[in-house]
Amino acid sequence: MKLKSSTLRTYTTLHTWVGLVAGFALFVAFYAGAITVFHHELQFWQSPHAVERPQETLADAQQLLDDVLALHPEARKHVGMLFPGGEHPDVAIYWQDAKGAWQFATRDDVQGSAEPPQAALSELVNALHFSLGIPVAGTYLMGIVSLLYGIALVSGLVIHLPKLMQDLFALRPGRNLKRFWQDAHNVIGVLSLPMHVMFAVTGAMLCLLFITMAALNPLIYRSELMGALPAAFDTAPIKPAAGQSAPQGQLAMWHTRSIEVAREQGLQDFEPAYLKLANSGDANAVVEVTGEAPGTLGPLGSVALDANTGELLATQLPGQRDANHAAISSAYALHFGEYGNAWVKWMYFLLGLGGAFLFYSGNLLWIESRRKRRQVLQGRAQVNLARATVGVCIGVCVAISVAFIATQLLEMRALNQSLDVGAGITWACFITWALCVAWAALRPPVRAAQELLWAAAVTTALIPVAHGVATGWWFWKSAAAGHWNLFFVDIVALAMAFGFASLARATARRARTGEANSVWADSPAV
Amino acid sequence: MWARATAGIFPGFLLSAALVGLVSWLLPGNWESTIVIGLIAFFPVWIGVIAASFKFANGKRAWAWLSALAVVAIGTLWGLQALAWVQ
Repeated sequence: MKLKSSTLRTYTTLHTWVGLVAGFALFVAFYAGAITVFHHELQFWQSPHAVERPQETLADAQQLLDDVLALHPEARKHVGMLFPGGEHPDVAIYWQDAKGAWQFATRDDVQGSAEPPQAALSELVNALHFSLGIPVAGTYLMGIVSLLYGIALVSGLVIHLPKLMQDLFALRPGRNLKRFWQDAHNVIGVLSLPMHVMFAVTGAMLCLLFITMAALNPLIYRSELMGALPAAFDTAPIKPAAGQSAPQGQLAMWHTRSIEVAREQGLQDFEPAYLKLANSGDANAVVEVTGEAPGTLGPLGSVALDANTGELLATQLPGQRDANHAAISSAYALHFGEYGNAWVKWMYFLLGLGGAFLFYSGNLLWIESRRKRRQVLQGRAQVNLARATVGVCIGVCVAISVAFIATQLLEMRALNQSLDVGAGITWACFITWALCVAWAALRPPVRAAQELLWAAAVTTALIPVAHGVATGWWFWKSAAAGHWNLFFVDIVALAMAFGFASLARATARRARTGEANSVWADSPAV
Repeated sequence: MWARATAGIFPGFLLSAALVGLVSWLLPGNWESTIVIGLIAFFPVWIGVIAASFKFANGKRAWAWLSALAVVAIGTLWGLQALAWVQ
């Protein structure tokens, strides 16, 4: 395919600048997002002795629900809870207090608190993923980054289009380093394009949905959108409280009934995951049971029941739902990798790391294509971008690994004394990140890159050690006991540590033996 | 570059909204049944319009074309809605 050279130039400029602006945030989003794929495993890994406790039962969950409803009247209006199952160490229940703030309770803590139980580490990594850890504004920022990411994908594809097919499997090592990095950037970009398009669209949607609805409402929906949303997003019809009390049905009955209803619609393996209960204790109490129907696209579906009698009110289950529910369920499943079996999660993990590499290599390409080949001294912009890339990107890898170590050490101390584990982990992460950025700002980029990669290798290798010291669950013990979720967190950390060490050695080799006139070469001048 | 970029962002936003609205209201069935798909589809449509705005020779043209198209598209949608020819 042939394009005008002016078009090609315009889109190259566009791709370069959009990529540079969004690239840093996208690196963090992809690295943290790859880890977030395993957030359930992380909750087990964080919670000391979670694997040794007996699995909570429906009766335990019923007890928790009854206690919370008795203790917190505001939860009667609207309360959500997880069904006991393999994915969470503790059954959690959550509601909004009088001020509208979410409260979480477990059987160990019926009073409730504003922190989700045993999830500080996975919450932190997830917050880095969707907001860079910046409260409120961070989500909108990441929404804009998602849009820029989409523009970078379109413009990148346009530039590459003329040589797309003939260069697809070309990876040309050799003296022309720019060629090699360009090939690597292109092949990863093209082969993972469908995933990137999906993430750009669903990422923008997840971050900007509410603001977009507000903007589109008067433009195309005649200001009638807000009234139509409950029917589009929820399953249960809204029933106002009757004002008369009625004896409420049991959790076990809702569980059985929802499976029964799903069977009638041909879904044999529907597994209830969580519920939403409205107007508890009232004659008009409604419960909405959401669960997973394996082997379907957009596996999450829900069944709405009269909470007192168990009478069926409405369903939105795979195969029998309207376009709105099918679309939102599929969009969520695609973004979070919650479909198919465990291989899908591993694929998302690898694609996430590959995406992080794509953004990192984009910055390297920018530096390489502006390299001054005939002089030692490189331009200020090249040096600064090298510093920023090393400090922010490698820095966040170090910071997340330090947060993992801090989690184990703080959880160990929290067994004997009361301390805020969540705050401790967050501080450990952001202080480490700031130190890495500062380090990269002060050292020559090639030195900082090696030092921070070694720091990443060492801290990541210490993750399984901290886990073993704090809980006694060394990874060989986890494997012997069949606790694979613990084992894989530790073993993946070791594999990543090895990867960081290899990158550090490669950087050192390049500094010694690669072309001399570069920010990545050992030289006294930079 | 900036003039074409802002053309894609501002009039391009209105044009993308109107395109999604037209499809949503013209499809058989009522508009409520395509709310979620419309809200998701809006993002790739807008990204496409922003990217396409760089195809214009200069910023002035981009602004003129995209504004005119946005006005026509929104006018058509509002007209159809007012006449109750779509639902």
